Amino acid sequence: MSNANNTPLPAPASYGGFTFENTHRNALLTRMGYDAPNATKTGTTIAGIVFKGGVMLGADTRSTSGSIVADKNCEKIHRISSNIFCCGAGTAADTENVTGMVEAKLRLHELKTGRKARVVNALTLLKQHLFRYQGHVSAALVLGGVDHTGPRLHTVAPHGSTDTLPYVTMGSGSLAAMSIFESRWKPDMSFDEAAQLVGDSIRAGIFHDLGSGSNVDLTAIYLQEDGTVAVKIMRNIDCPNPKPAPVLNYKYPTGTTAVLTKEVKPFSQLAEVTAISRTIFENNEDDDAAPPAASAPVPMDIN
Amino acid sequence: MSIMSYNGSAMLAMVGRDCVAIASDTQLSANGQMISTDFQRVHMVNNNVMIGMSGLATDVQTLWADFRARTKMYKLREERDISPRAFAHMVSSALYQRRFGPYFIEPVIAGIDPDTKKPYVCSTDIIGCIEKSPNFVVAGTCTENLYGMCETLFRPDMDADDLFETVAQALVNAFDRDAYSGQGAIVHILTPTELITRTIKTRTD
Amino acid sequence: MADRYSFSLTTFSPSGKLVQIEYALNAVASGFTSIGIKASNGVVIATEKKLSSILISEDTVVKAVPICDTIGLVYSGMTPDAKVLIDRARKAAQSYRRVFNEEPPVLQLVRDIASVMQEYTQSGGVRPFGVSLLVAGHDHNGPALYQVDPSGSYFAWKAAAIGKNMLSGKTFLEKRYTENIDLTDAIYTAILALKEGFEGELTENNIEVAVVAPAPPEAASSAGGVVVTGGNPDDPLYQTRPIFRRLTPAEIKDYLVNI
Repeated sequence: MSNANNTPLPAPASYGGFTFENTHRNALLTRMGYDAPNATKTGTTIAGIVFKGGVMLGADTRSTSGSIVADKNCEKIHRISSNIFCCGAGTAADTENVTGMVEAKLRLHELKTGRKARVVNALTLLKQHLFRYQGHVSAALVLGGVDHTGPRLHTVAPHGSTDTLPYVTMGSGSLAAMSIFESRWKPDMSFDEAAQLVGDSIRAGIFHDLGSGSNVDLTAIYLQEDGTVAVKIMRNIDCPNPKPAPVLNYKYPTGTTAVLTKEVKPFSQLAEVTAISRTIFENNEDDDAAPPAASAPVPMDIN
Repeated sequence: MSIMSYNGSAMLAMVGRDCVAIASDTQLSANGQMISTDFQRVHMVNNNVMIGMSGLATDVQTLWADFRARTKMYKLREERDISPRAFAHMVSSALYQRRFGPYFIEPVIAGIDPDTKKPYVCSTDIIGCIEKSPNFVVAGTCTENLYGMCETLFRPDMDADDLFETVAQALVNAFDRDAYSGQGAIVHILTPTELITRTIKTRTD
Repeated sequence: MADRYSFSLTTFSPSGKLVQIEYALNAVASGFTSIGIKASNGVVIATEKKLSSILISEDTVVKAVPICDTIGLVYSGMTPDAKVLIDRARKAAQSYRRVFNEEPPVLQLVRDIASVMQEYTQSGGVRPFGVSLLVAGHDHNGPALYQVDPSGSYFAWKAAAIGKNMLSGKTFLEKRYTENIDLTDAIYTAILALKEGFEGELTENNIEVAVVAPAPPEAASSAGGVVVTGGNPDDPLYQTRPIFRRLTPAEIKDYLVNI
């Protein structure tokens, strides 16, 4: 039985389902010499380590579009469930959506089973999805969390292969970050040591990798002394690259711009107009703004 | 040439104190030949949300028809106006659905949250990655220029008049050095109570 | 010959009835009683959970179930039918979240469930669901309580009763319900309403109570027991908001001793 869909529109994106109706047109445009534009990437340094009783995840906050910094302070540590988080590198839309899809699936799994999801559940869903798309869903991930088996840390490569290691890095800044881990990681570090080490590895990426930059985000998932799981989200824990305050005030005085037409639409009046008729609005003598002249562009549809 | 330059456009949105601005040029060209000087890329979704779409004009119109239909269905179903945040996610999911055959638009969304009355601006790339900004977002064929202008001119907590002047000058000076955009511009200032729309004088070549 | 109109669902009887739907309502009316009350600061739903044998492990029987963080439901009627609807409702909630990045408003979820139930009154080869649901939740309009019936019709209630003792439950609620009732009072009232017509003694093991209420501070996020600190205050996931929660047997016992 088909699902009765009471909207006449195609259902908005459901998870997992892609639409391919534009691909022929887009391929034709490419053949004609019109290149498809770049999607936003997270150049990225992401990293994670296992420490005593938990995992510490870290990320920089730069996203790029070609050589342009698209976002100076984006969030790359995604929540998958209350005890599982995931850092994403690669095409930003893919990391965002692949983690969102797994979040939805794990939530259903948690509701169905009545227990907290395990990190391997997330790992399996991620690798199966990424393998199915053969690397075209371009997400390189650092997955970490604490479940009843203890702290777990994995990486997932865009083609779906995975690793399970005590300290991992991903993204264009992974070499810089790994150099820090290789020289300083040791087993059973304390929370503060772990935060310092992951912070340093992200800073190495921020300063030495051009695809990474701006600030340091950390998230720790760890066991408390009473055995319960706690999460500490340390967004922008370090901002080593603040924008300096402007020395001069580049302020254009009011009136600099030559205004051709000006129209003010109070919303209460707009609502009245839509309820009755448009002619009332145009004949309204209380309206001090110029009535829309024939040549004036109608700026938008009135809802 | 990138398909994003085929029709040309320049667009930005900026946050002010209790207001947001969204501005766009109004030219439409194809392959470097002028077609129109009052092409509308910015649309009002409802009293809280506006969307501007840079990129391929055919996709701008196709998607606006789609987004308008979706938001009207949302309003009929939920008996409330969609918030800027929910609208941005709806746009994002519609674009990501076409991850492997995208529409060639980069939307810019500006709005006032109906509950908190806080300004909201964001943009997405062509496959729907949301970039939420505390100050400004830009899109189109002269993003480098627009970023430079906005980074220099943006100040926090501008009032509606100040915001207009800043946004207008950022846009006009950015597309001054862009062959594929210009020929008039429109600047919308959205506040919780009203929408102020100005067309401004720019160079016309 | 009235029976001839009961073979196929798509056949109306001459008097304009779809008798299979009425039979489905009979199935609901023979199910255990469920009560729901909308309070000023939350919603409570409660149901009987009497087991047919003392040998059944009672903690495996769950009749008040979460749909998403902010919405949950109880049902009266046939358990397997309810499971199908619960599964569909949970998927609908997650689909809504994937598009709008918000928990679904209660009415939207109720409509999704109701449209599934309606479909099963008009399609070939299927029968209606033998359950009525009480859906409790919280959204931008505040607390909400809905009843959904096998026909696919749904109603918003201040207080509602479904199942075996529906009539006596409703009469009791009509007497006891007040505007501005607070959640604690509503929980007591719901338990007392269940007590009407309950055979035997109420214990923490033979009733279930769930609430949609502001989360206690240690579970402020949707973390469900995991303490989250430092989440983005703009992210609705980390805001304190009312969430759906089943009361533990110990909590129910505390209410029972005060009755």
